[in-house]
Amino acid sequence: MRTTLQALSLLLFSLFLVFATYKLPDWFPADIYLRLDPLLGLNAVFAAREMIGRALWALVTIGATLLIGRFFCAYACPMGASIDFLDLLLFRKKKRESLKTESNLRKVKYFLLIVFIIAAVTGLSLAFLMDPIALLTRFYTFFIYPLVITLINLFLDLLRPLSKVLGWVSLSHLHFFQPVFYMSAITLLIFGGIVALNLIAPRFWCRYLCPLGALLSLISPLGLFKRKVSQECNECLKCLKACPMGAIPEDPKTSRLPECIQCRTCVKVCPQNAITFPVSLSIGGEYSGIDFSRRGFIYSLAGGLGVGFLAARTPFTLLQGKHNLIRAPGAIPETEFLRTCIRCGECMKSCLTNTLQPCLWESGFSGLWTPKMDLRLAPCDQNCNVCGKVCPTQAIRSVSIEEKNHAKVGTAILLKEKCLVWAQNKICLICDEICPYNAIVFRPVEGYRRPVVIASKCNGCGFCEQRCPVLGESAIVVVPDGEIRLKEGSYVKEAKKLQLEFKADPGDDKFILEESGFKIESGKKEEKKSQPQNPKGFL
Amino acid sequence: MDSHQRITRRRFLKTAAAGVALGIAGKPSILPAKEEYDLAVISGEPAAATKKALETLGGISRFVKKGHRVVLKPNMSFARTPEFGATTHPMVVAAVAQECIHAGARQVLILDHTLHRAELCLERSGIREACKNISGVHVQAFQERKFFKEIKIPQGKVLDRVEVIQEALESDVLINIPVAKSHSATGVSLGLKGLMGLIWDRESFHSRININQALSDLATLIKPQLTIIDATRALASGGPGGPGDVKKTNLIIAGTDPVAVDSYGVTIVPWYGQNFKGRQVEHLLIAHQQGLGKIDTDQLKIYKGTT
Repeated sequence: MRTTLQALSLLLFSLFLVFATYKLPDWFPADIYLRLDPLLGLNAVFAAREMIGRALWALVTIGATLLIGRFFCAYACPMGASIDFLDLLLFRKKKRESLKTESNLRKVKYFLLIVFIIAAVTGLSLAFLMDPIALLTRFYTFFIYPLVITLINLFLDLLRPLSKVLGWVSLSHLHFFQPVFYMSAITLLIFGGIVALNLIAPRFWCRYLCPLGALLSLISPLGLFKRKVSQECNECLKCLKACPMGAIPEDPKTSRLPECIQCRTCVKVCPQNAITFPVSLSIGGEYSGIDFSRRGFIYSLAGGLGVGFLAARTPFTLLQGKHNLIRAPGAIPETEFLRTCIRCGECMKSCLTNTLQPCLWESGFSGLWTPKMDLRLAPCDQNCNVCGKVCPTQAIRSVSIEEKNHAKVGTAILLKEKCLVWAQNKICLICDEICPYNAIVFRPVEGYRRPVVIASKCNGCGFCEQRCPVLGESAIVVVPDGEIRLKEGSYVKEAKKLQLEFKADPGDDKFILEESGFKIESGKKEEKKSQPQNPKGFL
Repeated sequence: MDSHQRITRRRFLKTAAAGVALGIAGKPSILPAKEEYDLAVISGEPAAATKKALETLGGISRFVKKGHRVVLKPNMSFARTPEFGATTHPMVVAAVAQECIHAGARQVLILDHTLHRAELCLERSGIREACKNISGVHVQAFQERKFFKEIKIPQGKVLDRVEVIQEALESDVLINIPVAKSHSATGVSLGLKGLMGLIWDRESFHSRININQALSDLATLIKPQLTIIDATRALASGGPGGPGDVKKTNLIIAGTDPVAVDSYGVTIVPWYGQNFKGRQVEHLLIAHQQGLGKIDTDQLKIYKGTT
């Protein structure tokens, strides 16, 4: 029953992630697991210093834990499920000695929790490093998702000869876009490390490290269901050995309440059937307190403050906006963005074009895994606004397509020394051809028509940068200059105020069917103007 | 699409056409237009004008036989709705597809190598929607190199080999259905320029080699049996992607000579505010000089009509 629920939860988690893609319906909360995570919620609310609507969902988890106990770790957590399943697969036969340093190790997660919360209070979003939901979302985004697409395409390739013979036309041409990400390897290493820790003890991560587990364990002794051992107990200590959380002390009749995740493994292994989980209102008892020391508290407090201080006082902070870093359209102003973003990777998973990529050190420690646009790799499509829709903390605002297209991310500049037309008089027009906003026009310069960017029409989508056929750095690059970052209010209005116009429409000349026969508009007016030279391609 | 085969097929068709013409000479009422036209230029609503244009040229069955695999190459390279004039009108494509199926085609594949993301192009151009209810018709966009095949161009001057969408190479009939638009490198983008949508590496046309010569080279290899220019509207400036000046031309121009069709297409609107003739379009002139078709429209037999 527990395994089924775990599998179900992992499946749901994956499904929600699958749905986090272009054309996500507005009402569908693809980021629900992240919203439900109280650690991420607290982290974002503290760091951003304001209420975040979607973070209120975490109250559901808090409420349920208050009511039932720390069930989340055993039944709902997709990370816990992944660890359990992989443990079953890899280390089933592994004999693991009980750790002598267990009681010290158990405190680590609380230290970490304090570090993360204090760091958040200083304005540094850090919980993403170890929050299990953020970690797993990243792992799925940067590793599992590209892998699954590869496997599906491989299968389709193998099937292709057959589907061709059988005349399955659609199937024989089916191919899924292969996403690629920076930092896939690092993400895999971290996840692999977490799983490998199981070699030392089952659920090592959950027992000793998980800050979300620590947070939930603080309130779990208030829950209604508690482990109870009857007089039948013959102290065989089977339960103690079997408990994946180390929640059973030397006296097996008692329990460490904060550690107990109600997985009921002890119930199953007890030869005397002495263990039950009845409803109990008492929260007292020797082991209901949290394993913690004053010294540890002080240390972790200092640690959190220290990290927060260090992260804020680096050249990166001073250089914000001066590096060529392009954020997603709708990303709130940089300082707030860094505080609010929980680096779950959901935006990068959902990105239609794969332009959203995780930062490594582009904006320092405080910018790890934050999304940036790699416009040489892929552009931002004007028909898609999914990154904001799936952002659980709204560090990227969820706005309409129209609004999103006015959330200028930067401006394209033409590097004339590299441009084939400017530098070599070649017949290239790719940037102009691909620009969705007509922001690139050809103007006669030195007897030749050459491309020029009209900055007020460019919203930085990057189609030009990606398509530029010059090898190496593009001859037309998007720089953050002119980006519009708003915490609230309308991008359309702001753009209007700045006299920008991003219009992807054919102008006033709408296509209407007319039975006008052969009447062709003559260009008499224009003909009077003496053009310096014919448009390109005409002799 | 072996050029050897093509010649025989064309010869065969001519003989067949002659035979048919002889056979029904006694009943002129069935074939009102006995004379063969080089071009059909029909004004009217997109689908009806397309059908009329096909009729004028002797019906689609002149090209498509029972059991044929037909490839239609519209322009659906941009994720733009039809009113932008950057993609072929969906009703024109659907009308041709429908006619092919009526003529007994086993399969009609509508394809393009899109510039924007494939699924967006299929969706926004309206072409997938327009064709979804015609059985045997499939709309596909190719953005993966594995669907292309390298082939030599024996007559190529700057382009000696090129990777072409395999399905187009393997088809029995290729019908080119470009949209009429301006183009900031080649002046206009009509039939010959539209064939660039069948190849993998387009960047080199702009960077390494002369695009006008390359287009002509490509035309020596890929020879659509029929070219139908969707000039129901013409993107007279701002092409090829738009947004730009969309003129309401309401025309369909069809013919078998790719250069002639394009050459006529040049004359229908002023491009970038100026009137041009086919000879003034560099890639058309080169193609003509390479013997790929007639360029002077006054030497063509043109049927002009309305629906």
